[in-house]
Amino acid sequence: MRFLLRTLSLSYVRRHLAKTILTLLGVVVGVATFSSIESAKGTLVKGIRSTVDRVAGKAQLQIIMEGGVPEEVQEQVRALPGIRATSPVIEQIVIPEKGELGSLMVIGIDLLGDREMRDYGFEGDDADLDDPLLFLAQPDSAIFTRQFAEKAGLKSGDSLAIKAPKGVKLVKARGLLTPKGFAEAFGGNLMVVDVYAAQELFGRGRRFDRIDVRLDEGTSVAQGIATLEKALGPAYRVETPGKRGEQIEKIVTNFVAGFNISSGFALAIGIFLIFNAFNVAVNRRRRDIGTLRALGATPRQVQLLFLAEALVIGIIGGILGTLAGSAFSQAFLRMMGQTSETLYGVTSSGTVRLVPLVVLQSMFLGVAASLIGAWGPALSASRISPTEAFAKGAFQAAVPGRSALRIAAGVATLGSAVVMALKPPFGGNPFIFVELLLGGAGIVLLVGPLSRLLLHHLVQLVTRFAPVAGRLSGDALLGNARRTSGTIMAMALSLTFVLGLGGYMGSTKKALERWMNDSLTCELFVRASANFNRPDFLFPGGLRDELLQLPGVKSVESFRVNRPLYQGRQIQVASIEIAPLLERMKYDFTQGDVETMRRGLTREGKCAVSDNFSRRYKLGIGQQVELAAPGGKVRFTIAAVVRDYASDQGTVLLDRSQFLRYWQDDRVDIYDVSLHPDANVGQVRDHIRARLAGRYPALISTRQEFIAEITKAIDAFYALTRVTLFLALLVAFLGIVTALLISVAERTREIGILKALGALPAQLARGIVLEALLLALAGLVLALPAGNLFASFMEGPLAELFTGWIMPHFYPWEILLQLTIALPLISAFAAWVPARQAGRMKIVEAIEYE
Amino acid sequence: MLKLHDVIKTYAGKSEVKALAGINLAIGTGEMVAIMGPSGSGKSTLLNLLGGLDVPTSGQVIVAGTDLAGESEKGRSLFRRSTVSYIFQAYHLMPTLKVRQNVALPLHLAGMAATVIEEKVTRALQDVGLEARGNHLPDELSGGERQRAAIARALVTDAPLLLADEPTGNLDSARGAEILELLRTINRERGTTIVIVTHDHNAASACARLIRLRDGRVEGDSAVAGGGV
Repeated sequence: MRFLLRTLSLSYVRRHLAKTILTLLGVVVGVATFSSIESAKGTLVKGIRSTVDRVAGKAQLQIIMEGGVPEEVQEQVRALPGIRATSPVIEQIVIPEKGELGSLMVIGIDLLGDREMRDYGFEGDDADLDDPLLFLAQPDSAIFTRQFAEKAGLKSGDSLAIKAPKGVKLVKARGLLTPKGFAEAFGGNLMVVDVYAAQELFGRGRRFDRIDVRLDEGTSVAQGIATLEKALGPAYRVETPGKRGEQIEKIVTNFVAGFNISSGFALAIGIFLIFNAFNVAVNRRRRDIGTLRALGATPRQVQLLFLAEALVIGIIGGILGTLAGSAFSQAFLRMMGQTSETLYGVTSSGTVRLVPLVVLQSMFLGVAASLIGAWGPALSASRISPTEAFAKGAFQAAVPGRSALRIAAGVATLGSAVVMALKPPFGGNPFIFVELLLGGAGIVLLVGPLSRLLLHHLVQLVTRFAPVAGRLSGDALLGNARRTSGTIMAMALSLTFVLGLGGYMGSTKKALERWMNDSLTCELFVRASANFNRPDFLFPGGLRDELLQLPGVKSVESFRVNRPLYQGRQIQVASIEIAPLLERMKYDFTQGDVETMRRGLTREGKCAVSDNFSRRYKLGIGQQVELAAPGGKVRFTIAAVVRDYASDQGTVLLDRSQFLRYWQDDRVDIYDVSLHPDANVGQVRDHIRARLAGRYPALISTRQEFIAEITKAIDAFYALTRVTLFLALLVAFLGIVTALLISVAERTREIGILKALGALPAQLARGIVLEALLLALAGLVLALPAGNLFASFMEGPLAELFTGWIMPHFYPWEILLQLTIALPLISAFAAWVPARQAGRMKIVEAIEYE
Repeated sequence: MLKLHDVIKTYAGKSEVKALAGINLAIGTGEMVAIMGPSGSGKSTLLNLLGGLDVPTSGQVIVAGTDLAGESEKGRSLFRRSTVSYIFQAYHLMPTLKVRQNVALPLHLAGMAATVIEEKVTRALQDVGLEARGNHLPDELSGGERQRAAIARALVTDAPLLLADEPTGNLDSARGAEILELLRTINRERGTTIVIVTHDHNAASACARLIRLRDGRVEGDSAVAGGGV
């Protein structure tokens, strides 16, 4: 086998190097996508977990409450039995003014009481702070790691400018940490400040982000949790740092799950490229196969030869894909890190390293994709009899199997996928993927027979307008059904993916835009923090009255969001003054109406829930939602279910009075300001800005600016999806180019015969270009319904499973238009070069071509 | 060596074609036999059946004691590897392999050791007078040389049966005569049974026996006067 590989296979590769490289690229792109995403995800998760562990130090438990832990809780906890030490913590990621230094994690701690919790490893002669009292007396004091200080060129006493919520702040280095243990958290980009200074700096009021707890030696973690939960009530979460790390890992893993589907599709398209290339290779080398068989090669030896070639392609594709993936992974990490920081307030600053498991997985995927793609052609090769192999044209003339059986099987599998999607038998992940697989298999089975039918009619149509070129292309396409359907299959699958994923993205975006237009209806939005998901500053509740007094202001609503855990998921509890809100906002009700909502929320102490919350937890009007408030568990009856896209985990909406009553927290995320009709938006904005200047951070946006900002955030969320979409398009175009190059080279002998019969080079070229266009058109026409079905599947069952939302369907006309322009151009280009070569071919050589 | 009993071969299609319509034939070990007949008489089909490249629709094809009609695809492959060697009109040399590599191919398929392969290939090339051309590609050889290379590939396995399909069909008369002389030498010195399908009377007269086919049946079977001498 090695001899055959070294001689026969290698020489084939040498003769068809360009086509082999294109085929290889299909595997490389698929593997690179997988490898880069997995490496970046692994590094992100590892970095976050390492940071969580290092910052936790010797703390065994952490007390957390949505909205912050009040200061007095520390005293309460310290007095409990089994507690050795407690330490308050505030954590915040900031950006230094010199952006090139990277994100900086600020840890606010009680420096005097924290030694029980963390080993600081101070540097300097007295191995401690230069002057602890001065440090605490000056609110701008900060400690940096030596690593960061060297990077930023800081010495003790130097200042660093950071972007804080209230504007740029100067902090002064008053101590350095040895880069080990705690100081290695967040890749060493760490700044330690006094926790009370951090409260002021980041607008936490008299609250901490959490309290770290160290237990007495005789107290177990379980005992500690039980004691704390009993003393603090259901609104507080008591968990180990490890558990917190696990939760973050789960969030990040869910966040990147969608990208694994994308890399799976890239690989699936790669499989078709391999399938196509091997089909053609078998066809082209059938005389060699015949000779080998005549010389005594067994069918198994022939099959193994092709599979060994596929194995080599898989290994090379796997290696190159893994290397390419490691080159892209840093960029992926940056994008994922930004998104996870924006959405979840956690990130990691690290360098991606290829881990052996990802290398092995990537190699396995490359090899598996290659072997799966080559399996069918290799089997066909082993079944070629020597007599058939020596008969010229016998293979090309071979007709594919019976269409009726294939169509019936395709309709059955696709139909069962659609039925399962519409009426899920059990639900859950495994069945979603069964539906996806059945749908894919149905499309694969149907594309062959449907493409023949479609081409038959297309050729008839085209022949009316271009008789010679139409007939030539028709003969080529319909004469070799096997090659034609293989090419169309690869193209249709790629385009299905592009139209499906693009359609899903487009529909989601349109639904969000429509919702924003209906819900963001006031003229100005006053925010204290740019990060909506993890605000670093909240306004005091009393500010509303001040804003109401400003000229031009008609009404002000105080919007506050809490993100507690509900049945293990982080939902959103939003509160606002409901009565004025309903005057200006158009809710899309799926249960109830505006009256039941107004009455229920303002007079009866009920809540409204989002449609995805209702679907996820199977709760509707009249049923109750139990939420954990600081005073204990509170039950709210559902008065209405509304379409709402604020949280993919679900939203519960309360009137502000209810929130104030049960949460005892009047802070506000956003003030929604409505103006009198004759008021000037710019002037009112200036008034608000002047009123808040020097007191609070204030981001004041008009409705258009706010919508634009959210749209930008949505776009950022889809950035990775767009990258994978681009990769899928790249693979799709690679497929088209490869298939057409091979297709034209395949017909060299036929072209020679046509020339011998008097065909002109221009006629041949037109015929080949037309053939390419017909192939692309057939692929696109078949992909239209398939892509639409795939998009509907993603918008319906898949979106519902992951988010609870069912997105309204909008056809991706924009992408279709782009494809309609790009595909003919690419196809014509792909066909033009070989068509010219064919036109210049010497007749005698072409006729003898095998 | 070869025994055919009531062999029928039909090809299915829109209309059924009967290529062989009941052949009964016996060829002894060490014979050199020519098969002639007009196009469509079933010559090539008969040769394919003798070499196990194809199986009869009915009847028995017994070669070296093996009934090929009952053998599996793999069994026939192994049979070919050990018992039969081929020479084709179009040579069927691998265009990308050097002559030595082409000759070595069946030995590699049989999984022989590299040193044995080297030795056998050198001897086979010497036997056909091509030892100096071993490192050339088939494209760099003349037609006669290519056919010699194909004969070397046939000889290298020491198979007792050599089947030749129009071995001189692509050669001029001088090169054709050289090839026929080479085949006679092989038959004489090695005792290899040789069956040649041909249109060429010179090729037929090089053999000791001539079988004539017409419409898938044996029309005549006779000794060739002065043939094989």
